[in-house]
Amino acid sequence: MRTWARVRSWTGALLGRRRVEREMDEEMRFHMEACAADLMSQGVPAQEAKRQARLEFGGMETAKHECRDAVGVNVLETFMQDVQHGMRALLRTPVFTITTVVVLALGIGANTAIFSVVDAVLLKPLAYRDSGRLVTILMNGEDPVSAANYIDWRDQNHSFTAMGAAEYWSPNLTGDDAPSEHIEGLKVTQNVFPMLGIEPMLGRLFLGGEDNEGADREVILSYRLWQRRFSSDPNVLGKPILMDGTAYVVVGVMPQGFQFTPFWATHAEVWAPNAFGERIHDRGGNSLRIFARLKDGVSLTQARTEIAAITGQLEQQYPATNRNVVVTPLKEKVVGGMETPLLVLLGAVAFVLLITCANVAHMLLARAATLRKEVAVRAALGARRGRLIRQFLTESLLLGGLGGALGLLLAIVGTKALIAMSPGNIPRVQTVSIDAHAALFLLVATILTSVGFGLVPALQASSVNLNDTLKEGARGSVEGFRRSRLRSLLVVSELALALMLLIGAGLMIRTFAALQAVDAGFNPHNVISMMVSVAGSMEADSGRRTVFYHQLIERVRSIPGVEAAGAINHLPLAGDSWGWPFVVEGRPKPRPGETPTAIYRMVTPGYFQTMRLPLIRGRDVTEADTATAPGVVLINERTANEYWPGEDPIGKRISFDDDKANPPTWLTIIGITKNAKQEDWVAAPFPEAYLAAFQNKEFLSSPKSYMAYITLVARTAGDPASVATAMKEAAWSFDRNLTISQVVTMEGVVAEATAQPRFEMLLLSIFAGVALVLASVGIYGVISYSASRRTHEIGVRMSLGATRGQVLLLVARQGIYLALAGSTAGIAGSLMLSRVMTKLLYGVQPTDPVTFVAVAAGLGVVAMLACYLPARRAMGIDPVAALRCE
Amino acid sequence: MDKQLELLQGTLEMLILKAVSLSPLHGYGVLLRIQQISKDRLEIQQGSLYPALYRLEHQGWITGEWGESENNRRARYYRLTAAGKRRLQSETKRWNEMTAVIAGILQATPEEL
Repeated sequence: MRTWARVRSWTGALLGRRRVEREMDEEMRFHMEACAADLMSQGVPAQEAKRQARLEFGGMETAKHECRDAVGVNVLETFMQDVQHGMRALLRTPVFTITTVVVLALGIGANTAIFSVVDAVLLKPLAYRDSGRLVTILMNGEDPVSAANYIDWRDQNHSFTAMGAAEYWSPNLTGDDAPSEHIEGLKVTQNVFPMLGIEPMLGRLFLGGEDNEGADREVILSYRLWQRRFSSDPNVLGKPILMDGTAYVVVGVMPQGFQFTPFWATHAEVWAPNAFGERIHDRGGNSLRIFARLKDGVSLTQARTEIAAITGQLEQQYPATNRNVVVTPLKEKVVGGMETPLLVLLGAVAFVLLITCANVAHMLLARAATLRKEVAVRAALGARRGRLIRQFLTESLLLGGLGGALGLLLAIVGTKALIAMSPGNIPRVQTVSIDAHAALFLLVATILTSVGFGLVPALQASSVNLNDTLKEGARGSVEGFRRSRLRSLLVVSELALALMLLIGAGLMIRTFAALQAVDAGFNPHNVISMMVSVAGSMEADSGRRTVFYHQLIERVRSIPGVEAAGAINHLPLAGDSWGWPFVVEGRPKPRPGETPTAIYRMVTPGYFQTMRLPLIRGRDVTEADTATAPGVVLINERTANEYWPGEDPIGKRISFDDDKANPPTWLTIIGITKNAKQEDWVAAPFPEAYLAAFQNKEFLSSPKSYMAYITLVARTAGDPASVATAMKEAAWSFDRNLTISQVVTMEGVVAEATAQPRFEMLLLSIFAGVALVLASVGIYGVISYSASRRTHEIGVRMSLGATRGQVLLLVARQGIYLALAGSTAGIAGSLMLSRVMTKLLYGVQPTDPVTFVAVAAGLGVVAMLACYLPARRAMGIDPVAALRCE
Repeated sequence: MDKQLELLQGTLEMLILKAVSLSPLHGYGVLLRIQQISKDRLEIQQGSLYPALYRLEHQGWITGEWGESENNRRARYYRLTAAGKRRLQSETKRWNEMTAVIAGILQATPEEL
């Protein structure tokens, strides 16, 4: 009750300040008038009565001030005074103010931008209902599983409310008007969307039974596809849509921004029911990714235990299946890989802010030194210390506030730039924005920063010894030990932090250099590739495909500027990669789990030549290797070493047919190629086999869309991008319904493969660069300040015969000590911290001595330069002038 | 008229509470009421009356409302709140105990020790 009265009186006073003032005035005036009236009734003349009443009342202003104090209005009053005073003070030193505000804006803005990325990518929950309960169930935590296994898990578990499966699907969208398009999609079991708890924007989700074979001709569109192909038509429901030549009916449209799945096939724009058909008995064809929702009250551990038990039993029943099945929370699956890089970046940018704080703090300290006189006078006139501290802090908050405001603008621009330059593999990066979270972060960062850089200078500046300061007069004395020690400490920490950032950046630069030096196996320079899908076109006919592929490659070869051309099913690094088991002729059936496996690719003659992927031994596929000729295959070095150690594999026969095919189609090994990069830029190559495309029945006749395409590669004399249009036209000259996608240069593909380390290197280098500049400004400031304070001393020394060299050393010595201390602390810090970067590094140890030494030396040189400038100025001091200026 | 006594530190607020507990009063009225009861024996800094009133109101012990004075002028009248009544009781009790104790000490004679 009383608290309420207090709050009411205070807010009333704050909000209705003018009214309170008026009432206060009226009340006191009434008092005096009543008093005067009483006096007059006692016979005192009017004039005298009024005078006496005023006298008896005493100082009205003092009374009012105490009244304001009583209700706390003065807090605001003094704050406003402080703000005004602070504003005036900042305006008096515009260079200082602008520098500080810009430096702070950079620090705060960069931190907010990185935070907004961390928040959107790592912290925010996935955009599904109660998404924390969603998990994925995958082999080895990443690989797909077969339909029969999924069905067993689904039916036997008691841990999940629902378990659904999704399968990759990349149909060609053909239509009457618009050009055909290759789009990504998913085939999902009916229960997947209800499990996610997402409602469609238009229409409905799939119904029970629609994932039965024959009933599976419905699709749900993404918002973007609905916009693009149907011009946002609200009457789209029930309309047909042709995919790979098959008609589907649109039953729903998902809301804008909906994404599924969030970690793989992330660009899926169309979803259809997944009818398993015959595959319900299949334990070999691993193509399903499993999603499930934990039951309330069931923990992740319990679910993992149950799945381990189920799969353990199934493995006994069906050897070599159900191995290492891992349940992972969906969010961890999505963002797990980004945790380390983003947190390293957040840490780095926080270091930049710390350096900024230290820098601004000692600028304020230097400034406070020049204000000592003023402060002393104010203290002498009765300003209390708390009041002085409050005033200095208000000034800091003003600086911080201005910096924060400008930082907000920088953050908005910065996040846009970050999104633009971020590598494509960062999940959810498109959702990054400066939202309420980021704004709150900015506010907190601004306040903490302001207090961080303002508190120490405020404490220092307010603690003046009146006597000394006022007595000192204009004499420039050597600054107090404590003060200079504090400033030195700030500079040492700046240098140490900068060194740590530089080492981080240095390690990333070394990593990137090592990545650049990686041998792809092939030569990506001047190669362009393009995927041509025949699904949905006339060329899909099994009779026409062989001819079409041949003619297409020939036509590409005839394009001016093209030196060589060939084709493959899946482009290395950019395309799919299928691991297929094979059997070696004459060898006993391998034990379960030890089946030889190789990445399965199909190439046309000319592929190796175009890619400049060297053959180590043997021969290339030729035009003579036709469907009627004996089957041939090339293998990479790794396959040869792995499966034919000490033997010559050439001439040996292998088969990729599964057990059922009898007799198997034997392929004779005709050549061994150098290892080429496959999926991952840094991973060691897996065994890999290149089959002759024109001998492969499936490649030439399968109606399945995942078999009905070819990836052309062409080596050009000049810029490969210049033939892109000609290549597309070459294909479309056969058939406008051919779907062309992924027109990319091989160099672009390689750059994409190293995009993330490049991004990390770039950001860390920017942060380290900013840190270096700030730290050198810091050390420069300290040295030049102390040199200027010692002008008199230097004058005396020089007049007593000190040489210029001795003066130089005198001034620079402090800088050398600071740089040494900073480097030592920085190296110690880096030795402790650089380990967190291990996951980001390649080809370099986190404690790489080369980087450490080079960076420390570099920092030393910069620090020396920063000291040299003031030292040189000190050398030029005219002793006579220095002494006279006393 | 006897010499006026200076007010003991911190007692003004208690007196104000007592004054307004008898009937709602405006600031000047509080002054008159205290002087009247004390028969002009206390010296009160008139200006210090208002900060004390504002403090008491801020604490929620009294509450002020604009009303009309005897000679038809707008004046702010203060009256005691329930919390103020309790406060006055406890203050009075404390004061009485205090004076009793102090009086006891001051009246002490060597024989009693």
